[in-house]
Amino acid sequence: MADLQINSESVFNFEQCLKCSVCTVYCPVSAVNPAYPGPKQAGPDGERYRLKNPVFFDENLKKCLNCKRCEVACPQNVKVGDIIQAARMKYSTHKPSLRDRILASTDFVGTMANRFAPIVNMTLAMGLTKSVMHSTIGVDKHRQFPAYSSKRFETWYKRNAKAQQAQYDKQVSYFHGCYVNYNFPKLGQDLVKIMNAVGYGVQLLEKEKCCGVAKIANGLYDQAKKHGNINIDSIRKAKEEGRVTLATSSTCCFTIRDEYEHILGLEAGDVRESMTLATRFLYHLLDEGKIKLAFRSDYKKRVAYHSACHMERMGWVFYSTELLKMIPGVEFTMLDSQCCGISGTYGFKRENYETSQAIGAGLFKQIKDLAPDCVSTDCETCKWQIEMSTGVPVENPICILADALDVEETIKLNS
Amino acid sequence: MKFNTIIIGGGLSGLTAGLALQKAGKRVAIVSMGQSTLHFNSGSFDLLGYDAQGEAVSNPLEVIATLDDNHPYKKCGDVAALAEEAKALLTESGVKVAGDAKANHYRITPMGAVKPAWLTITDYATLAEADKLPWKKVALVNVIGYLDFPTKFIAAGLRRLGAEVDVKAFTLPELETARKSPSEMRAANIAKVLGNEDIVKRMAAAVNEQTEGGNYDVVLLPAVLGIADSALSQQLKANVNCQVQFIATLPPSVPGVRVQNLLRKRFIAGGGVHLTGDKATGGVIENGTLKCITTENLTETCLKADNFILASGSFVSGGLTSNYEAVTEAVLGLDVDAADEHGQWVKYNAFEAQPYMEFGVATDGELHVKKDGKVINNCYAVGSVLSGHNRVKMADGTGVSMLTALQAVKNILK
Ligand code: SF4
Ligand code: SF4
Repeated sequence: MADLQINSESVFNFEQCLKCSVCTVYCPVSAVNPAYPGPKQAGPDGERYRLKNPVFFDENLKKCLNCKRCEVACPQNVKVGDIIQAARMKYSTHKPSLRDRILASTDFVGTMANRFAPIVNMTLAMGLTKSVMHSTIGVDKHRQFPAYSSKRFETWYKRNAKAQQAQYDKQVSYFHGCYVNYNFPKLGQDLVKIMNAVGYGVQLLEKEKCCGVAKIANGLYDQAKKHGNINIDSIRKAKEEGRVTLATSSTCCFTIRDEYEHILGLEAGDVRESMTLATRFLYHLLDEGKIKLAFRSDYKKRVAYHSACHMERMGWVFYSTELLKMIPGVEFTMLDSQCCGISGTYGFKRENYETSQAIGAGLFKQIKDLAPDCVSTDCETCKWQIEMSTGVPVENPICILADALDVEETIKLNS
Repeated sequence: MKFNTIIIGGGLSGLTAGLALQKAGKRVAIVSMGQSTLHFNSGSFDLLGYDAQGEAVSNPLEVIATLDDNHPYKKCGDVAALAEEAKALLTESGVKVAGDAKANHYRITPMGAVKPAWLTITDYATLAEADKLPWKKVALVNVIGYLDFPTKFIAAGLRRLGAEVDVKAFTLPELETARKSPSEMRAANIAKVLGNEDIVKRMAAAVNEQTEGGNYDVVLLPAVLGIADSALSQQLKANVNCQVQFIATLPPSVPGVRVQNLLRKRFIAGGGVHLTGDKATGGVIENGTLKCITTENLTETCLKADNFILASGSFVSGGLTSNYEAVTEAVLGLDVDAADEHGQWVKYNAFEAQPYMEFGVATDGELHVKKDGKVINNCYAVGSVLSGHNRVKMADGTGVSMLTALQAVKNILK
């Protein structure tokens, strides 16, 4: 109370709202879907009513993407997105449907899909499956599913990389996330390649669970909390053993660093600073002269960078783009910062498909006009959305870095 | 990670300084917490609208010479040259403006009042003299259901000046959809709905239908077109059968967002580092020099630079904060010029000039800031965070933002 009086503090800074409606300008949903009340109304304005009486809770709040662009825009540092997510968690009576549960269970579905990857990929690509899913469980038929890999990243790591890691004096841990594990092990392999080349061994966490972003979005809070605590414990253990934990997904990283504490109420404050993004970690090592990178002279690529929402919210776009700009063969363009519309599982839902594509329309047009060799972004769901909607391949900055790297020369420079 | 200059604040003054330094080949970073007061911009820029007595100024340069010494313009060497430079910087960035520092023109506010202005975006309605409209017969055309453009007030204002005004309104299916959420039907969202060539073509047809046979000298529309640039408003003008001009709406302001976008885009394309949504939290000062600053997102580093520019804005933008005891500069706790007694902060007649409006960071003649009475030799304050001016009373806000920014850059490059 004293703080409230002296420093005007409040939960999620909600008392700080000036009603300037700047947030509305940057909300990707409010412009295309009039059923959504918009950040100001859904956030600080609505909160005033909800505090009086929970009947004022509006289920339309589930249309919020949790992209946090409103927070980035707010001049008063009001945590608009957090207010909305917290309200959903506190007041929503909506029970997650079967479809929501399936979409949220990236880890479980991934495990099953890996086993039967060729069949699953084929089935998910078939028109019939798509239309059945569209009409039965409400997964939009236009969606292309990310292909499942037949070998998990963890399996690859154990068989092909684990034994070599001990030879390095310096060590990091890696939170690979569901996407690298089940869909795209190459990204994880690329990270191991880069880190090894600069003299760092890469360890997996003692236990890793899905970061939970899809569970939070789909209202499976208890599961998200349970998994969150397992991840926190593992990251803490790595920290105690002197290892920083790297992620290659901006969303996993953001969820663990910020959403665990702000939305799920988990005790994660002590591990926040030992969880970081691989590009940020590398940037600092380079900046401080602790490592050097050598690049292939024959590498050429026109790269356009897309700032994923959670990357923008973390404020770390700078690290990834500066790394890309360091590669001599990269011709770099910065795309306008705007949401691609997928927001994890949001765009997969039948009822959101149109909104999702309308949100991304401006971005897709800019990409098509520019026609780069590839788009680069730190988020895997943006990758699916942009590839599906523009046909331009999308790569994580780590993959571009790994492809452009002259590995032997880099090893020499760092030994 | 060392920069020539780090700018705290990404609004008009911060971006102006950033672009000017970039032009001189310097490596610059902008730390920008939240969006700026450009979101309340009117489509015009002021240099000096009113003198100390509250009279409208016709030649800003002349009156600026007579301002008292506390005013930030008094720390800007050649005001006329800086004003030209500011205008050129806007034009180069794709913000086409017209106007003259020696002769104010007039703009029409969303409330139908006429106010002095220095530069106005070329598509926007202006008057050469305060009491003379350039047209006789006016069609004032609004979007049906759009509430932030009070046509009654505007029409009354125009009629007072002798115009014959017909108020019309149009809609399109997409706008009808947007109308389902009246609270979200704001200028920026309408601009997003009217965001492609196809719909603007249909909008032009709808406007033509409303104004057909009326023999209007001008069609006046709310400024709800073109968040990214002026391409769509050009297209509309080409397709409407009569002269079209825009009038600013209540915030959020489409022209303001456009200016912000264009300047920011140019800064980033020029290689500038824009730390969007990050908040400067403090700094290390040693022997009168600011060494580095910390931010909320880049927790592990203290960002180093040879020079720093504080362009963090006033109370609205969080550059200044206040509680019941004191007014504080938010990042470094710099010295501020402010009345000690809380009782002297405000005048209880809301229409009087408010003393707190002139509160702000104290600077020396070269815009250097001070802490505990000691000058910090590599840190400059620019824009609304500065003390000594009242942008509401004198209509000098955007001028102070741009000119002090350009002056600080000159002081850095000296
Ligand atoms: S939440 Fe922030 S941006 Fe939105 S209306 Fe309030 S102060 Fe303005
Ligand atoms: S988090 Fe994103 S979708 Fe939700 S209110 Fe904020 S800007 Fe809109």
